[in-house]
Amino acid sequence: MAAAIETRNLTKTYKSKLRGNVNVVDNLNLEVEEGEIFGFLGPNGAGKTTTIKMLLGIIYPTGGEGYVLGKEIGDMDVHKIISYLPERPYYYEHMTGLEILRFYGSLFGIKDESKFHALLDKVNLAADKSKTINQFSKGMQQRIGLAQSLLNDPKLLFLDEPTGGLDPIAHIEIRDLILQFRDEGRTVFISSHELSEVERICDRVAIINFGKIERQGKLDDLLRGGRNEIVADGLTREFADQVQADLKDSIVSFNAGRLIVDAPEDNNVNTIIDSVRSAKGSLVSVTPRRRRLEDLFIETVNKPKEESK
Amino acid sequence: MGAISAIARTTLGEAIRRKVLLIIMLIGILFLSVIPAFSVLSAKSELTTMISAMFFVLRYTSALIAIVLTVYMLPNEIERRTIYTILSKPVQRWQFLLGKYLGAIFALGLMIGMMSFLMITMFYLFQHPEASKMFELARQALLYFVEMSLLTAVAMFFSTFVSPLVNFFISIGLWLVGTLLNPLYESISKNNEMAPVLKSIFSFVFSLLPNFANYDTKNPIINPGQAIQNETIYYLKITGYGFLYIGILLILGILIFDRREV
Repeated sequence: MAAAIETRNLTKTYKSKLRGNVNVVDNLNLEVEEGEIFGFLGPNGAGKTTTIKMLLGIIYPTGGEGYVLGKEIGDMDVHKIISYLPERPYYYEHMTGLEILRFYGSLFGIKDESKFHALLDKVNLAADKSKTINQFSKGMQQRIGLAQSLLNDPKLLFLDEPTGGLDPIAHIEIRDLILQFRDEGRTVFISSHELSEVERICDRVAIINFGKIERQGKLDDLLRGGRNEIVADGLTREFADQVQADLKDSIVSFNAGRLIVDAPEDNNVNTIIDSVRSAKGSLVSVTPRRRRLEDLFIETVNKPKEESK
Repeated sequence: MGAISAIARTTLGEAIRRKVLLIIMLIGILFLSVIPAFSVLSAKSELTTMISAMFFVLRYTSALIAIVLTVYMLPNEIERRTIYTILSKPVQRWQFLLGKYLGAIFALGLMIGMMSFLMITMFYLFQHPEASKMFELARQALLYFVEMSLLTAVAMFFSTFVSPLVNFFISIGLWLVGTLLNPLYESISKNNEMAPVLKSIFSFVFSLLPNFANYDTKNPIINPGQAIQNETIYYLKITGYGFLYIGILLILGILIFDRREV
């Protein structure tokens, strides 16, 4: 599959009076394939928005190179087939939903009124088309944002925190729209803190920390090799303490004779089972657990800066 | 061209809804409405007093509107992030800046037009002048519009790299200095004690500054003794000067804005 986005050592350095040169984005190598939903994750200040702005040509890289849909970043031809929904978008408050679409449409030379109405319909705002933006709820503003981002029938959408600050119903609506984009063959690049949402909808993710990509790949591959949960009864507190002492990477809990061991996959499950049996305990269950994206994220971003370098 | 006109129309729409601009314009309108009543109290010629007061109000109100309108225009777009959704579309930065500028001068034209219409109407109602006098008033209002378009370009240029507050004071300062350039030129050229090198330096610096003084044409209604030799050439010259200066400022502004991180 062709790359929708490709960066090679993309770097953005800012000069700081206190800290000298700061690499906000540091030799970033990113590859997003066409037709996938790609999650771009990282803590606040990791370099996510800076990366998106560079890919959109809004700010300029200080090093490296980047390609969007096969063309160098900043190429105006590419801007005709991509779109962007910023975090907490603001639109001209005096405009109605329909006027917003007319305005952004005119930037592409689109004057087709039926297209504007169809888009309002698609994002469930047809009934509110005459309301001005300051009468819109957050969810409605986000939906009109998505509608404007679809005006040019984009091949690639950049969505920066598309569900940030929305209520659960609006979350579901936006999520469904994003999944619909993939079904329509569009590539979606999402920057988000909503890890459960990302885990549900993304095909691949990258985790950025201190401006560097720490993890990148298919979600299934990244979350594979998770943990095993072993539950056994009829054991003593002393035994539980011994297991915890032997398996430092595991989380051991004990209550009323029941032992629960949450062990990383690389711990030998059979060894734990054998020791349960030799202590005359009875094994209740052994359950393999896929890692959650949240676990992977925390594990990745909790690394100190020096280690991540 | 579509993108530029869309941005210009949106800028116009925003500008005419900005309360601070409407308040400044309403204060101008209020003054223009009461001037005819006060001018009868003047010991000087009633006509001269009325016209000079009206021109003063129109010019200063327009200058304040031009500066307040422009200094916040770009910073607001960046702060509210509207610029991101616009620049991520097939819109070049020069198109964005030009659209903003055109929108600003359309809004300014509309406001100056309304105030000028009121001024001419009041003048007609109180003085019942000949048509030629009315034409001279309209022409002066048009020259003020060219002057304010130049002032808008000055403020727009500085808004590409300085903060709104600093820009406000720079633009006001340049305008005030610019309105005094002709008397300054004159006093330097007549000053025989000044060293020729210093004279040249002053002349060079003054020639770089925008000359706003040219647009206050010493209207024959106010100054009957000071007539312009060839009016057509004079008006074409100062309008051409204004457009040239505006063009240079916009090009410089675009060059700076093109490299700026937003």
